[in-house]
Amino acid sequence: MKIIRWYENTLSPNLNNTTMESVKTKTRTVEEFNVISDIFSQAITGELIGMSNFASLAETIDDPHEKMEAVEHANSERMHAEGFLAYAEKRKLRVNINMGGEYWGNIRRQFLSYARQQDFTACLIIQEVMLESFAISMYNDVGHALGGEAGDLFIRIRDEEKEHLDHSGDILRGEWIRNPLAFENKFEAIHFNCMNILAEFTATTDLRGHCGVCNGECMKSSLHHIGLDIVTLRGNALALYAEAMDNIGIPGEKSMVWIARLPA
Amino acid sequence: MDSTTARLDFAAIGHQDSWRNVTAFVNDIRGSVLENLSCEKIKEIYSFIPPRELFRVKVRSTTGVEIEGLYVETFIDPDKLSAHFVRTNLRKVVNAISRTSRLGSPITTLGGFTSIVLEGDLDPFSTSLAKFTTGNTLTAAFIIKGIEKAADLLHIDLSQSNILVIGATGDIGLACTHYLKHKAKKLLLCARNTGRLEQLANDLTSEQFPMEYSADPEDLLPRAQIIISTASSSGIQLKNCPKNALICDAGYPKNLDLQLTHNRNVHLFHGGMGQVSGGFELIPDYSRTIYQHPAPYVIHGCISEAMVLAFEKRFENYSIEKGKITMEKIEEIYTLSVKHGIHLAPFYNAKGLWPD
Repeated sequence: MKIIRWYENTLSPNLNNTTMESVKTKTRTVEEFNVISDIFSQAITGELIGMSNFASLAETIDDPHEKMEAVEHANSERMHAEGFLAYAEKRKLRVNINMGGEYWGNIRRQFLSYARQQDFTACLIIQEVMLESFAISMYNDVGHALGGEAGDLFIRIRDEEKEHLDHSGDILRGEWIRNPLAFENKFEAIHFNCMNILAEFTATTDLRGHCGVCNGECMKSSLHHIGLDIVTLRGNALALYAEAMDNIGIPGEKSMVWIARLPA
Repeated sequence: MDSTTARLDFAAIGHQDSWRNVTAFVNDIRGSVLENLSCEKIKEIYSFIPPRELFRVKVRSTTGVEIEGLYVETFIDPDKLSAHFVRTNLRKVVNAISRTSRLGSPITTLGGFTSIVLEGDLDPFSTSLAKFTTGNTLTAAFIIKGIEKAADLLHIDLSQSNILVIGATGDIGLACTHYLKHKAKKLLLCARNTGRLEQLANDLTSEQFPMEYSADPEDLLPRAQIIISTASSSGIQLKNCPKNALICDAGYPKNLDLQLTHNRNVHLFHGGMGQVSGGFELIPDYSRTIYQHPAPYVIHGCISEAMVLAFEKRFENYSIEKGKITMEKIEEIYTLSVKHGIHLAPFYNAKGLWPD
C-alpha cells in the first residue's frame, strides 16, 4: 500500500495536563485519499443541489417571509458547500462537481418539477426530509470515520442540517394534521419519484450506472479504506428517513410498505 | 384508516423468527409488479429499520364485543435473538414501546424475545399511563392445558409421567414447573443458568416434590415421557428422546421439529398457541406470510393475553417480572380467554395438523 504525502493534524486533549494539547499526525494512503476525494465531491455536489433547490423554491414563493427563508436556506447550503470546498482545496483533494450526473441530475429534475407547480410542501419533503435525512446520516457516519478536522467539519454541518430537518418536520406535521390522507398520498407519490433515485444511488452496486461524480470507479467499493461500508451507510440513512416520516405522523404500516418497495 | 382517527384497544410488539418469513413478508408487500428481493438483499436493510406498526387487527369476542389492535415489529435480526445481542435488541424493544405509547395503546404485550424488558426491570414503565404485559401467563396456560389435553388424547397418565421442562428457570418455564409439580410423577428440570436451576431444585426439594435437574437436557431425556421446551430451541438436540414422547415446543422460534427428523415416533405440537373462535382480521392482510398456521385464527398466547385484557378493559400491568405467575392467575386468564372464545389452538407441528 502506497503512502502519499498528505498529513492531517488532529487536536486531542492531553488528559495529564488540561492546559496543553498534543498534536497527532495521521498519514493517508492513496486509496484513502481517493475515497475521501470522492466523498467530498459527493458532499459538495449535494450541497450545491440543495442550494439550487432552495433558490428555485424562492422563485416560486409569493409570501415575502417564506421567500426570505428559502433564500436563507439556500445560503446555508452554499456555506456548507464552501466549507467542504475550502477543506478540499487545503488538502488538495481531487474534487469533481457534477450536478447533472445520473442521480443528482435526476433528483434536481424531480425537485424542479414540483417547484414549477409552486408546490412548497413537495419541495420541502424532497429537500428537507429525503435529501437531508440521507445527508445527516451519512455526514454523521463519515464524520466519525474520518475524525480530525475533516470529521469535525462533517459533524458540524450534520448538526446544522439536523436543524433544517427538525424545523421542516414541524411544518410538515402541521400539513399532515390538516389532512392526513391527502398528505400521505402526496408523500407517497414523491417518495417513489425521489427515494427510488436515492435508493438506486446508494444500492451496493450503481443500479443506473456511474454517478458522474466519483473520479474513478464507484467509491462504494472503496469505502472500507476509511472504515465504512455502503450497506451500513444506506441502512442508517434509511433508518433516519423512516424516523423523519414517523415524526411527521405518517403511519408505520404505510412507511414500511414504501420502504420495502424501494429498489435494492 | 389512519393513525389520527383509528381506535386502539391494544398493541403487540414482536419480531420475526426466521429469514424465510421475513423474505416472504417483504416480497409480499412489494407486490406482484416489482421483482422479488433475495434474502441477502433484504438482510442488508431489514434490521436497520426502526420499530413501526405493520398492521392493524380487528378481533371479535364470542360475547359480541369487537376490539382493534396494532402489531409493532421491532425488526430484530432473526439471527440475533441470543443473549449476546441483548443490548442492541433491548434498544429496539424500548423504541417499540415508546412507539406504542405514542400511538395511544392502553395495553401492550411484549411477545417472544421482547418480553425480556418486562421480565427484568419494570422501572422504566412504572410511571407510564400505558400498561404492559409479557403475555406469559396465558402462554403458560395454553402450554399446560395443551399438555393435559394431549396427554388425555394419547392416554398418557400425567401422575405416572416424568415431565421434562427445558428452560425451567425462565418465566414461562417456572410457571409450568410450579403448576405441573402437583400433577407429575416427577419433574426433570433443565436450564442453562445452573445457579438459578440449583435454587429452583432446592425450593422444590424443600417442598418435597420429586425432581432431578441438569443443565444438559440429554442427561434427563431418557427418563422423560413428556417434554416441554420453553427455551429458544436452536441449540437443543434431543438426541436421547424416548419413543412415543409427548413434546410441546413452546420456544421461540419453534423449530424442534428440525431436531427430531431422525425420530418420527414422537408426538410433537407447537404449544402456547390459542385460537380466536370469533375470528380476527388483519389490515392489511399479511396472514399469507407472517401468520402462517395450519388452522385459521391461530395466534400466540402472548398476543391473546393482550386481547383478553382489552376485551375485559383490564388495562393493568398483568404479567410482569419473572417468577410472578401464580396458578390462580393462570386459571383466571384462561377462564377469561375462554369467555371471549379464545381457546387452546388445535394441535399442529411443522407437518400440519395432528390427525384426528
